[in-house]
Amino acid sequence: MSKTKKSTKRGKILIVDDSELNRSLLSDMLEANFDIAEAENGLEACAYLQEHELEISLVLLDIVMPQMDGFEVLAMMNKKGWIKTMPVIMISAETGSAYIDRAYDLGAVDYISRPFDERTVMHRVSSNFMLALKQKEISDMLSTQVYEHERDNRLMIQILSHIVEFRNGESGLHILHVSTFTEMILKHLVAISDKYALSQSDISTICNASALHDIGKMSVPESILNKPGRLTKEEFETMKQHSAEGEKLLKAIPYHHNVALIKVACEICRWHHERYDGSGYPDGLKGDAIPISAQVVALADVYDALTSQRVYKPALPHEKAVEMILNGECGAFNPIVLQCLKDIHEKLKAELTVSSPARDMESIRENVENVLKKSGSSVSDRTIRLLEHERMKNRFYASLSHEVLFEYVSSPEMVELSEWGADFLGMPQKILNPAESALATEIFGEGDFDRFVTKMYQTTPENPIVEEKYLLNIRGAKRWNKVIVQTLWSSDEERPVFEGALGKVVDVDDETQEMQQLEQLADHDAATGLFNHHAAKRRITKLLADAGNKRYALVFFDLDNLKKANDVYGHLFGNELLKAIADRMKSNTRSSDICARMGGDEFIIFMEYQSGLEQQIKRIFECLTKPLGEFDVSLSMGIALAENYRGTYDELFHMADLAAYAVKNGGKNAYRFYSEIADK
Amino acid sequence: MDVKQCYEQIGGDYDDVTSRLRTDERIKKFLLKVADDKSFDLLCEMLDAENIEEAFRAAHTLKGVCLNLSLTRLYKSASAMTEALRGKTEYDDAFTPLLEQVRADHAVTVAGIRAID
Repeated sequence: MSKTKKSTKRGKILIVDDSELNRSLLSDMLEANFDIAEAENGLEACAYLQEHELEISLVLLDIVMPQMDGFEVLAMMNKKGWIKTMPVIMISAETGSAYIDRAYDLGAVDYISRPFDERTVMHRVSSNFMLALKQKEISDMLSTQVYEHERDNRLMIQILSHIVEFRNGESGLHILHVSTFTEMILKHLVAISDKYALSQSDISTICNASALHDIGKMSVPESILNKPGRLTKEEFETMKQHSAEGEKLLKAIPYHHNVALIKVACEICRWHHERYDGSGYPDGLKGDAIPISAQVVALADVYDALTSQRVYKPALPHEKAVEMILNGECGAFNPIVLQCLKDIHEKLKAELTVSSPARDMESIRENVENVLKKSGSSVSDRTIRLLEHERMKNRFYASLSHEVLFEYVSSPEMVELSEWGADFLGMPQKILNPAESALATEIFGEGDFDRFVTKMYQTTPENPIVEEKYLLNIRGAKRWNKVIVQTLWSSDEERPVFEGALGKVVDVDDETQEMQQLEQLADHDAATGLFNHHAAKRRITKLLADAGNKRYALVFFDLDNLKKANDVYGHLFGNELLKAIADRMKSNTRSSDICARMGGDEFIIFMEYQSGLEQQIKRIFECLTKPLGEFDVSLSMGIALAENYRGTYDELFHMADLAAYAVKNGGKNAYRFYSEIADK
Repeated sequence: MDVKQCYEQIGGDYDDVTSRLRTDERIKKFLLKVADDKSFDLLCEMLDAENIEEAFRAAHTLKGVCLNLSLTRLYKSASAMTEALRGKTEYDDAFTPLLEQVRADHAVTVAGIRAID
């Protein structure tokens, strides 16, 4: 019995066609050799790819489809980068060359026209599948090799430079610091200016080469190198030779003169003690005659020398070192390089405390990633395994917690609910076009879903949390829920793009109800149901602050004869009277007006008015003073107006109180405006 | 009636379909799907509603289905219908005779398929 090779995993093919018959015809031809997934329009296909990107080995894509056609799917696959790793074969009865060209332009690898021929379909699918598989294997191999190569390179350079450092009696971190700072400054330099055309790989070469900047010190006698006191003039001259000596040493290496690393290292060795104003050594080069590599390494060298302890000096604090450099106390530098130092000095300071070897490995990884990105390679197997692992973990946790967990994808817009969540909300797990689904139109209140999406777009990668409370209608029951998400952004550091969010919905209805009840209790007067003084004051203060051009009146009154009511008709009647006054206040004012009992027999009404306030007040006064049974209700009322008012509530209240007091003194049972008595 | 006889009766190309789909069994399986396919009904409905864009899509699907199974006669009329509808947005009197032809061919085709043992 012959066995097929076990090494190739069975691939999975996504068939996208709106005709069920076409899909089953293709799947019938392919299912012996491949796993099959189907989608009946472009939108469904994108949703499927979004979730199963890593499982799909190949896509068979129809062109004419409802919802989202084949070209739009290709465009989306380009936007998401899927097209780079997933071969797409177009299938269509359209054989017009314009169609075919357009599909090829959008990254399709092949084209099968109808009617399907079993052998053709099998052959094209298998060969494209194998091709993609091989490409992936090769790119994995490449990434491993590039990584190892880069790591070995760095290691050799580090060994070499450590020998130099050891002899110099330096900390051992100097080389690493110089390299790190050089990298940070150069990266910032290319970000703020295009004066120096440095690619990512140029920067990496300069950083590697920077490790060799002091290699010439091998030729300086140890007695001078490690002399604690001041160098004599002759000794200093010997010391100065290390820059030219370093270059000489490198140039003496047979062959490889044209290797970028050697060339850049020569520049750096020879010229890292030149100064921008031409006062440096050995050649007295001026301005940009000094290569930018040497300029930046010089700055990094000076900075690290200042902040490190040496036999002849203690370590200076970061701030002091930066200040000295910027003041020109440590030689002349290119203004734009100094600008870089100024911009990133906080980050530099943080770097000082980071353990360097780890950072170095990180930068190797970054480099490898960059190299691979350029060659358009895919993620490695390990990454895929890790992702699958993560996904499994999430599913497991989601299944344990009885909460509505969800993922929001911005484009194509989609919400995916946890299994339990979908069941609870009575929605499908995957909601395409959520803004038009029952989720937005029935579960969320009108406009709330849009508002929430807007809120998510307004977050930043630094501040990605949104937390909002909404009244949700879940299977017929309206309950308060908190929706919490963390938004997700593309990894592009310069211009991150909003990609979606992870979140959950938490029922907070009970807490909210309780809160509202407590507020209700705290704000209301038990006997009358009106606001109490405290609550009224809070509300009025807020209205006054936001008043703008609005005009308000504060009406204050007290009963002239409550005591009599109590004495003659009993306390029960007194309570009834207060309640009746409260009811009359409510039925004669608008719901937006504020009616409150201040305590005892004192009340206020705070209302907005346009014109005809006098009649309004008269009407309210008359209604309030109607007899209650046989009891004649009598009250003293004062009114203060807030028009273009800038004062506080307390002042306004005081005015109304004064007006009411004037009524009380003038015979009771009437109303007066504060403006009438103010002049007297 | 076997598959070959059916193809003769409904104006299809038996040799072509066997060269591509290999077995009678498979051909029969998909012919039955053609008989149940709703594209023709959709085409009629959409033309009735004067939704030309959807009508185009339905005709296009029907045409693709016929092509796959080498149903030459129905393919021709569906193809003519598709081309007449392509890019149009409003109802045109020219659609009527084309639809009638599709209707006639579709009836013959479905009847033939149903007659397979």
